[in-house]
Amino acid sequence: MLETMAEESISNGFIKNPVTGSNPAVVAKKRNLPGTPGKYPVYMIISAKFFSFEDHLHGVLMLCLTPDPEAEVIALSPKTLTATNRFLCEICGKGFQREQNLQLHRRGHNLPWKLKQRTTKEVRKRVYVCPEKTCVHHHPSRALGDLTGIKKHFYRKHGEKKWKCEKCSKRYAVQSDWKAHSKTCGTREYKCDCGTLFSRRDSFITHRAFCDALAEETARVNAASGMHSLAAENFNYQLMGNPLDTVMPFSTVFNPISSNDEAVDQTRRGFSLWMGQASQGYDSFGKSTLQEIHQFGSLNPGSIYGDPMVSTSNPPVSDYQLNWVFGNKVSSGNVEDHRLSSTSLPFSNVKENGPQLVSVPSLFSTQQQSHQTPAFSMSATALLQKAAQIGATSTDTAFLGSFGTKCSNSQVQDGNKHSDLYVSNTPSDLENSANGISTLNQLQMYPAKRRRMQNEDSGGGGGGGETRDFLGVGVQVICHPSSISGWK
Amino acid sequence: MKLSSAKLSKESKGASPSHGGHHKKSLHSKRPSHCSVLPLRPVDQLEQWPSATVDMYNSDNNHHHHHCHQQQQQQAQTSHTSTSRSSDYLAGGRGDSGEASGAGDKWALRLLKECARAIFDKDSSKVHHLLWMLNELASPYGDCDQKLASYFLQALFCKATESGRRCFKTLTSVAEKSHSFDSARKLILKFQEVSPWTTFGHVAANGAILEALDGESKLHIIDISNTLCTQWPTLLEALATRNDDTPHLKLTVVITENIVRSVMKEISQRMEKFARLMGVPFEFNVISGPNHLGELTKEALGVLEDEAVTVNCIGALRRVSVEERASVIQMFRSLGPNVVTFVEEEADFSTTRHDFVKCFEECLKFYTSYFEMLQESFTATSNEKLMLERECSRSIVMVLACDDDQDNEGECERRERGTQWSERLNQAFSPVGFSDDVVDDVKALLKRYKAGWALAQPHQKETGLYLTWKEEPVVWVSAWKPLKHSQNYRN
Repeated sequence: MLETMAEESISNGFIKNPVTGSNPAVVAKKRNLPGTPGKYPVYMIISAKFFSFEDHLHGVLMLCLTPDPEAEVIALSPKTLTATNRFLCEICGKGFQREQNLQLHRRGHNLPWKLKQRTTKEVRKRVYVCPEKTCVHHHPSRALGDLTGIKKHFYRKHGEKKWKCEKCSKRYAVQSDWKAHSKTCGTREYKCDCGTLFSRRDSFITHRAFCDALAEETARVNAASGMHSLAAENFNYQLMGNPLDTVMPFSTVFNPISSNDEAVDQTRRGFSLWMGQASQGYDSFGKSTLQEIHQFGSLNPGSIYGDPMVSTSNPPVSDYQLNWVFGNKVSSGNVEDHRLSSTSLPFSNVKENGPQLVSVPSLFSTQQQSHQTPAFSMSATALLQKAAQIGATSTDTAFLGSFGTKCSNSQVQDGNKHSDLYVSNTPSDLENSANGISTLNQLQMYPAKRRRMQNEDSGGGGGGGETRDFLGVGVQVICHPSSISGWK
Repeated sequence: MKLSSAKLSKESKGASPSHGGHHKKSLHSKRPSHCSVLPLRPVDQLEQWPSATVDMYNSDNNHHHHHCHQQQQQQAQTSHTSTSRSSDYLAGGRGDSGEASGAGDKWALRLLKECARAIFDKDSSKVHHLLWMLNELASPYGDCDQKLASYFLQALFCKATESGRRCFKTLTSVAEKSHSFDSARKLILKFQEVSPWTTFGHVAANGAILEALDGESKLHIIDISNTLCTQWPTLLEALATRNDDTPHLKLTVVITENIVRSVMKEISQRMEKFARLMGVPFEFNVISGPNHLGELTKEALGVLEDEAVTVNCIGALRRVSVEERASVIQMFRSLGPNVVTFVEEEADFSTTRHDFVKCFEECLKFYTSYFEMLQESFTATSNEKLMLERECSRSIVMVLACDDDQDNEGECERRERGTQWSERLNQAFSPVGFSDDVVDDVKALLKRYKAGWALAQPHQKETGLYLTWKEEPVVWVSAWKPLKHSQNYRN
């Protein structure tokens, strides 16, 4: 009976995946395989041996969304998955790791011609689900198309990390990961901005923390890094669905108004995103972005930060505004003294002064500054990792180009809209004029930056995905082509 | 003073850098004038040490001075006679030990031990003689033996003249004058680069902390360490990268050494900036002031109810006076931590504190090992090495020449071995083993340094991990969790 049920194909009318224990809905819409998202019937084969009846029903009744409507979803048990000899000869029972090897072996049995043929059946594309119930990939809609892939996934996520790097004691569950790492381990050198080279990561980190270069750099870097990292996250959010909903919580990051800890945390996490990327490909990335930032800063001194800044009666804030307006570089003079420039722009004041610094260009600014939406509960890292699982693995620079133009088109309207909202929400005096002008400029600058960032990071990020190195993940964040449509 | 002129002549022979001169002068200026009893011409006088005893413990300066003069006159007048006295102190019965190298192996250790014994026995002439010999042979710029001789000589001298406290204060103020954030940072980072002495404890402790506080969202680490927060960048990085949700970290640093106070501001700025860089929500507090750790309270430390607390002590327990150690441990427990980590150097200066000779020998043994380690880790002319050695010299003076009964303002340095600390800690805590992952991390760490370092995991009854240098355990690290309230005593 179970089999017959399984044989039925389920047609279109369906509901959202009520997958419990998986990601928030906004993320679940992403697919792990390229292809257009949609709702498709699925043809499932679930062996009753491995799943309970409830599970089976669940699977059958649910509307499974796979990219390939004809795909056959295979659910293997953990035992089968980890078995190294999956292919068994029906004559003698011998096990083989690869199908070809089994074929070769079967020839040796001198089978009659008929039996030699494989049973013909349609070659259907097979997708595999992870047997671990709590796993995201357990659900057919999140199946992986490659047997080796699902095996590796299973080991990485749910397996014991048996392979250890001798040099750095990093652990891996998959031998190939371990081998790949061993090749590069110890060969990478870390270069601090002060010029010192390190072969050991931990001494690099400790040095970095105390380095004089840190003091200056954070000032300049923070100025625009906020834009980068938050821009990155913002792309995700906005692309995922209701921009309103997502922009709001996200941009609370920029609003350290009431020193909302959550906002601050996210700010920091957002920052970590970028910085994490920086620290891995430190040399090239760090330097070039600094240059970019300088450029950035000097080009639009007033635009980004000038307008959205809610000016309070804090003198430092207005000084800062003036600085920007007159196009002074942030790092001019004594970095330490200048309150805002000594640390990151959006961030420092949260800690130190608590002035109302919304350094977001109106593109990303919230419509409701005063609303601190606490809905956002995921960290930047988690978000990116999830995005990476869903999003494209390849970075699409062309996309960015198009994104840039698209942005700019729709931007102006948005910009105005935002500025209006700004006016309505924030009673204090804002320089409205800056809004409209600046956003276009900013946006055009963004794609350029993102592109550059990606190129540098792709080296650093490669191979990092499976070990959940958020540096690697970060690279993959760059938006999915399909998401353009989601962006308003 | 004749003595200083002897020194000057020595200086002219070798090339001593200017602060060496300063150092020597300060050392000698500490000596009361009656010490000029030691004669000018070492080689000659070595063989004719007068049998007349000069009472060094006589506090009457005038009497001394007179006595000294007498003695010198005697010496000048007597002709060369060979005494076997000097040869008693040297290997192989050599009569004319003269200058350094010909004195045989481990001359410093022997001389020092003899001298310590002589001081304990209050044998003034012997003390004089030995001090003098050591003075001639010792140098803070020579090889290990010479350095040890020099610094221990200083301590012995202070002990003999009961000027330990004063000497210590002078040494400390000298050090403070040349102490800055830059110099301290350079020193510790260089030390960590060439030797795992401190990083061993850091890696193990961080590993234990991360594992114990895994999943917590608000962390509060109370740090009482002598490593200037160099432990925390790697922890911050780990928090930022290993976890899905980066927790909030509050770091409360308790300062016990005056010398550290001045650099704390810079350090706090760097830490905060770095935490921002890492994307870890961070709060940094410094508590300086309590002379006695036992006085700390939850409120003083800012411990909140919803925080997961850790206490991290590196080289801190030994600075607590011996009588107060039990109460400090109880205080730690009262903070309700999830885990406490301790790192201490493996030496016992505390059970021997009433036995000068034994204590001296322990001290000598430990510092011999330490100096040798420094010698092999740093380059020969390293300034950092010199500064570390000077730090040692202050410690040595403190341990050997400063009376414990006086209030040393938290500058006590009575080390204990891991097993001894464990006995104390078992009154309030139960040990937490280090996981295999952490052990692997430590092993990987040691691989990055020169040969000679190894990890020793203890036998059944012992807890923690030991860093060994040439097979000798030198640093001990351990992790503990508080006993439940019903388990107040262990069998």
